[in-house]
This record gives sequence, structure tokens and C-alpha cells, in this order.
Amino acid sequence: MPDFNVRSDAVNVEQIMEQIRARIREKRGVDYTEAQIKELASVKLEKFLDPRGVRSDLLEQFRRAQPNYAPPELPNFAFEDQTLFESTRGPLRFIRRLLQPILKLFFNPNPLIQALNIQSKLNASAAEREAKRDAARFAFDQLHYEVMHNLVIETTRLGIEVKNLKMRLESMASRLEFNERRARALESVVVYRPAAEDRPVQENRREESRRDEGRRQENRRSEPPARPLPTPSAPAVEVAASEVTPAAADISPPTPGVPEGPGQKSRRRRRRRGRRGSGAAAAIMGGTEQSGADQGGDADSGDADDAAIDSETELELTGNDDATEQSADRRESRPEPFEHAFGAQAHPAEAATGDPAGAPASPSPAVRPTEDQPEEPTSSKPSAPEQ
Amino acid sequence: MKLAIVVQRYGLEINGGAELHARYIAEHLARHAQVEVWTTCASDYVTWRNELSPGDERINNIPVKRFRVKHERDPLAFGRLSEVVFKQSHSIADELDWLEAEGPTSPALIAHIGRHASEFDFCIFFSYRYYHAFHGARTAGARAILVPTAERDPAAGVSIFAPIFRGVRALMYNSPEERTMIQALAGNEKVPSVVVGVGSEVPQNPQPHRFRQKHRIKGPYAVYVGRIDENKGCRELFNHFNSYLRQKAGNLTLVLIGNSILEIPKHPRIRHLGFLDDTDKFDAIAGAETLIMPSFFESLSMVALEAWALGRPVLANAKCDVLKGQCIRSNAGLYYDSEAEFVETLRAIEFNKWIAGSLGKNGRQYYRDHYDWPVIERKYLAMFQQLAEAPQAGSSFEPTPGWMERRRATCPPAAQVVAATPTGPSVAPEMTIPRPAGPVTPPLPRRPQTPDRGRQSQGRPSSQGGRRPQRGGRRSSSHGPGAAR
Repeated sequence: MPDFNVRSDAVNVEQIMEQIRARIREKRGVDYTEAQIKELASVKLEKFLDPRGVRSDLLEQFRRAQPNYAPPELPNFAFEDQTLFESTRGPLRFIRRLLQPILKLFFNPNPLIQALNIQSKLNASAAEREAKRDAARFAFDQLHYEVMHNLVIETTRLGIEVKNLKMRLESMASRLEFNERRARALESVVVYRPAAEDRPVQENRREESRRDEGRRQENRRSEPPARPLPTPSAPAVEVAASEVTPAAADISPPTPGVPEGPGQKSRRRRRRRGRRGSGAAAAIMGGTEQSGADQGGDADSGDADDAAIDSETELELTGNDDATEQSADRRESRPEPFEHAFGAQAHPAEAATGDPAGAPASPSPAVRPTEDQPEEPTSSKPSAPEQ
Repeated sequence: MKLAIVVQRYGLEINGGAELHARYIAEHLARHAQVEVWTTCASDYVTWRNELSPGDERINNIPVKRFRVKHERDPLAFGRLSEVVFKQSHSIADELDWLEAEGPTSPALIAHIGRHASEFDFCIFFSYRYYHAFHGARTAGARAILVPTAERDPAAGVSIFAPIFRGVRALMYNSPEERTMIQALAGNEKVPSVVVGVGSEVPQNPQPHRFRQKHRIKGPYAVYVGRIDENKGCRELFNHFNSYLRQKAGNLTLVLIGNSILEIPKHPRIRHLGFLDDTDKFDAIAGAETLIMPSFFESLSMVALEAWALGRPVLANAKCDVLKGQCIRSNAGLYYDSEAEFVETLRAIEFNKWIAGSLGKNGRQYYRDHYDWPVIERKYLAMFQQLAEAPQAGSSFEPTPGWMERRRATCPPAAQVVAATPTGPSVAPEMTIPRPAGPVTPPLPRRPQTPDRGRQSQGRPSSQGGRRPQRGGRRSSSHGPGAAR
């Protein structure tokens, strides 16, 4: 049974639950109560989303509440000219008809008979019209009900959709906020360090290059000054790629197992830029001073800034290895002539400068190992600048 | 001292909460007193069918007398009466009919109590809601002690039980929440009572690896132990766990232990192992990241106590006041009230080892302080001593209403009555009886030593059928009369 050595007194379940609830609120943006969740859950959403699934019995109830309309049998009577004198008894009807002329001596019943006759016809037509109107109203009521019903359904559906969208929006907003915070946090904490397995290799290489440099200086002292110059026709980039220098190790693509640190890619890009306008190649072509003077005119302040940053970064990465690397950085990050940057120095038209045979016998000051070039290779090729 | 324990069912194979509780109490009190168990021949709590032989038998050296049940439960009639009593205004006669329908109706048991209760110092009745407790407590009169094992369900609001809660000599509650509810229902604050609960037979050296190997469980898992039933909150548990899986919130597998009467979702990370013996059960709990208790109603969760005893945290359903209260008081478990809370609490326990470890450690301490057997035994013995020092002459039960009174429909719906009682967990710390440094000295005169005594105290009756876990050395070496044993 596992036993934990923890500060058990510090645990407070209610506090933990508060924190968990706060986290839920933060994640969901809104903290629904149980009642609200039940209310939401009770909405049969799928029925509203699928109109064919609507099986409301409200319409049926409505029809039951309003049975099929039948026009009422309104009382009416036909009023004809003999209606006033009619009777079920035959003698009485005979006496009335007999005395009718005497009645007409007192007043004229004909207008009365005519008016009542018209009224009777009006009653019948009014009743018929009213029945038609009732039937139409009944039909309209049903139509209105159905329209209202559909409106309610649609409104409910829209309301639910709005709620869902709101929740999704809140969720996305919280996620976005979280991601932003995370990105900021990552940016603030990441400091590039070479991978652990790279460090010993780099240190070995540096040590090796120092030894080589020492050897070269000794050789220079002992040997005659004539020394074949490096072939300027070789592109600087290729040279750099073939060189085994700490700088080359730095710019070599990361091994698949080693993750590339943030900023490493851009640093590599800047190094390439710097390499194209490498001080060594420029020196071969025209001397350091001139090169520097030429480059001064085309100075690209952005690159210069980048280089400065780069050199600082390199300082940070390599620690206090040597100040020579810093100075090399500063030197090599200077702006370069356009033709240098694009390998124009290797053009056949410039064979005079590019042909090593035509090169001066004495080593150029530019290629002479200096403190700025701590890692000149033992081979005759020009060294790739290190940033 | 002679004690009679009256319970609706009794036996090694009976694993119901109250019944197991009664058996544990009987077996532990048997170290301090002469204990006899009176029960029925039923083993099924739904039908109360007479499946066991009436008469005497001994289970783990405890004499047991069984009495026949007069009739089985008619589920239709019981359901109809429950509807009336729980949801409508009704009469006391309706409630008595409901009680009769609920069972286990055993007039022979009640008659035996009437004849022999006077030979015992106390009769301890388990589960207030059954026939035997209602009629038995009235018959035993001043000797009746009740262990209500009451949950927050409508049965607690049935009005015929209030006089029982007021009339017994003492009440042994399982939790402060239970006491609060019953006191609100019956107004029985004057009746001596104590929150006791029950311990468990937890092995000291569970083997989680053995369980993993046997059942091919890989990776971290959360465990649920109990009947897989909707009433136990399992459906909600499945829904919540499905959400946990959908959100890919963690790597836990849900291991279910117990018989299922509910369809279990098919998912590779939901494993149902069926009913397991105690050894496997404890191995499973010991190896789990957490024990999940999804039940809505609990008087006391023994399995939660077992998890705490094994140092595992508990994730409980916050709808159950008792479980939530225990989690808060013990600082040994988290609780959830919604799906989101379930997922987050499970994640917290899974990924934050510090929290999980602290909760587990607190749980172990909580169990030792409140539910270890020496503590439980001392609480019972202290209560017996308190009652013995203040003897009561006659029965204090209120007389049963007359014929006319019983038929007046004046009783409110029971569910309504329960709903009106205060809710929420009790966060006040529980009374703690200090753990005895040495062997527990019973405060009451001990019963004469019997030839069986030595065997009884040395080890708890050996496991029969492999159901009982082996006892650890801690208790036997440090506490209880067993230490004297």
C-alpha cells in the first residue's frame, strides 16, 4: 500500500472544491446551476432541430377545443302576401279573406307585407354570410395557430442555438486566452541552451581548434612565408559547410532527436547571411580594410542589429569561452558588398583575383590568423566565418 | 451482560449494509457480553421468502435464532401503499398496513421478543423501517436500543416511526446527518444517542498487484464497489464517466465490482468484474486511484470507510449529505454535484498525487479515529454503561392511537415531511473517543468466560467460504479485549 509523506494538514477539501469550481467556471465561462442544467437538458433539442420530429399534440388539443364548425340554424320565416291572413283553421281563414277588403278600408297592409318580406330575405342572406364568415375565421384561426406554433418552435430553436453559440464562444475565448497566456509564458521562460550532448562535442572542437592554431603559429614561425592561398573560387557557403568548426557545428541542422530551440532557425539564417559576406572571403578578394570600407557604404542597419544581437546571444550561449568569437561576430556581421553576398567573387571574369596562382606569395593580412579568427582550419581553404 | 441483536436478515452470505453492520456489531460485542441474534428465515430483502431453516444455529460462534416470516411481500400492494403513504395525506392505519406489507412480517419473532426480552440487558434493533424493529422495540420496551440506519428517503417521514425514535432507550446513529434528520423528524433530542457507525474488517496487507494480475487490469483505475443499480446512482456515474472519456480528461479505467441490475455501457475502459470476494475487493480498493461513491442516499457507506482505512481517497456524490459531510469532516474525499465537477475532481485525484496522497492519509486517520473497532466498541460500551447507571422503570413508548384515531387521514405525505427537514452536510467535527493505549477494558462487568472465549478473541472467526478477510495484526496487537485475549 503506497504511503505518501505529505503535509496532510494542509489539505482542505472545501478549498479544493472551491478551486475546482473556479477552474470549471474559468473553462466554461459560465457556471450553470444544477437547476439551469436540468432546464437545458429538459429541452428536447433534437425535436426542434428536425421538423419532422415535431409531434406536438397541441394542434389536436386545439381542434378538440374547437369542434368542426356548423352554421347555426337561425330562426327565420318566409313572409308572403297571404302570410298575415293564414290560419290552420279553414273557416277562420275564409272569414279573414272575406273581411280583407274591409280591413283595407282602415289601412293599407301591402307596404307592411312587402317590408316584412324583404326583411325575411335579408335575414336569410345575413345568416348565410355570417356562416361563411365564421367558417373563414375558423380556418384562419387554425392557420394562425399553426403559424404561431411554428414561430414558437423556430424561436425556441434559435434561442437554443444562440445559447449553444454563446457557450462555444465563451469556450473559445477562454481557450484563446489560455493559449495566449501559455504563449507569453513560454516566450518568457525559454532560454536556448545547447543540448547536453552537443556541449562536449563543441568544447572538444574548440579545444582542437586552439591546438591547431597553436600548431599553425608554430609552423608559421618555422616555415617560409610562402603558403598556398585558399581557392577563392570555392563558394564560401560550401566551405563553411565542409568545415568542422564550432561555428559550423552551430549552424549545422539539428539532429532529428534534438529539438531545435526557438530562435535557432533565425539565428542560423543570419549566420548564413553573414557567411555570404564573410570577412575571410572579402579579405581574400580585396583586403580587410578595403572590404570593410566598401561594406560600410552598403551597411544594412537591420543586419547589423541582428548581428549585434546574435553576437550577444552567442556570448550568452558559449559563456565566457573566448572574446575572440565575439569580436569575430562583430566583424563578420558587418554589411557586405552585393557581389560578395551573391558569390560574384567566384565569377570567371574575375579570375585574376580568384586564381590562387595570381595571389601574392605572402599571406594576406586578411588570411593571417588573428585573434578575430580563432578557428582557422588546417586545410588551405578559407575558413568560414563564425558568428 | 446479555445483549440481543434483532435484525431482519442475518448470515455470512448476506451482504446488505444494515445486516452486515449488525453482524459486525454482534461479533465485536461478543467479546464484551453474551450476544444472541434474533432474526428471520429470509435471505432476500425483496420477497422475504423463508429460505433459511427456523431454529437455532451458530454463525461465527454467535448463537442465532431464526423465525419464520408469515407472508412474503406483495410488491403490488406494497407499491400501492407506498404511493399512498409517501405522496398523499393518509391515516395511521394506512401506515400500519404499509409496514405490514413491507415486512418481514414475523409475529413469531415479536412473540419471542416479548417472552425473552426481559432476560437480556438490552435488545439492539437494526433498521427502524422494518416490521421487526417497529413492533419489536415496542415489545422490548425499556430495553430497546435502536440503530436506525436511516437514509434520507420518504420512509423516514412515516409518522408511526416518530414515537419509536422517542421511545427507545438509546439511538446509535451512523452519522451526524442521520441524527440531525431524525431529531428534526421526531424531536427526540432527549433520548441518549451517539454517532457510532461501524468498522470494517480491513486486511493490513492488501495486494493490488495480485488483483491486477488476476483480472488483467492495466493502468490507473477508479473503482466502484456495490450493487450496480440506478438507485445507487450508477446511471449518473456512467454518464459522467462517459463524459470523462469523451473529453479525454485522463487515463483512468472504471472498474465496477458488484452484481449488476443495470445495463453497463460497453467501453474498453469500463470493466465490470461482477461480485468478488473480500480479498479481491480490498486488493482492488487498495490499488485504485480513488473509490467512487455515486449513491444519492446513504446512511453510512461502509465501502467508503474501507477505502479510507486503506488510505485511498473517495469521490462521492454531493447529493448525499452523509457522504459529503464525511468527505468534509475527514478531509479525505472530494465530491461532485455535476458532470463538470465529476470530471475535474477525478482529474484532480488522478493527476495531483499530492492531493490524492493527502486525502488518503487523512482518510486513514479519520478511520482510525472514528471507525476503528476499538473506538466503535468503546462507544457501545459507554452507552450501555450510561443506560445501566440510569435505569428506566417502564416503557416510554407512547400508546398506539385508538381505532377511530388510527383511521383519521391526518398524516401528511411522508415525502413532504422528509423534505421539510434540514438538509446539508454536518461539518462540525465528530466526537472522538480517544483510542485506548492498551487493551480495552469494558466498563461493564464482563460475562463469565466460556470455553470458546479464547478462540473467539484470538481471531475473529475464521473465514467461512472465503468471504471474510484475514484480520490484521494491528488491532489484535494493540486494542480491544482481543489484546487481553
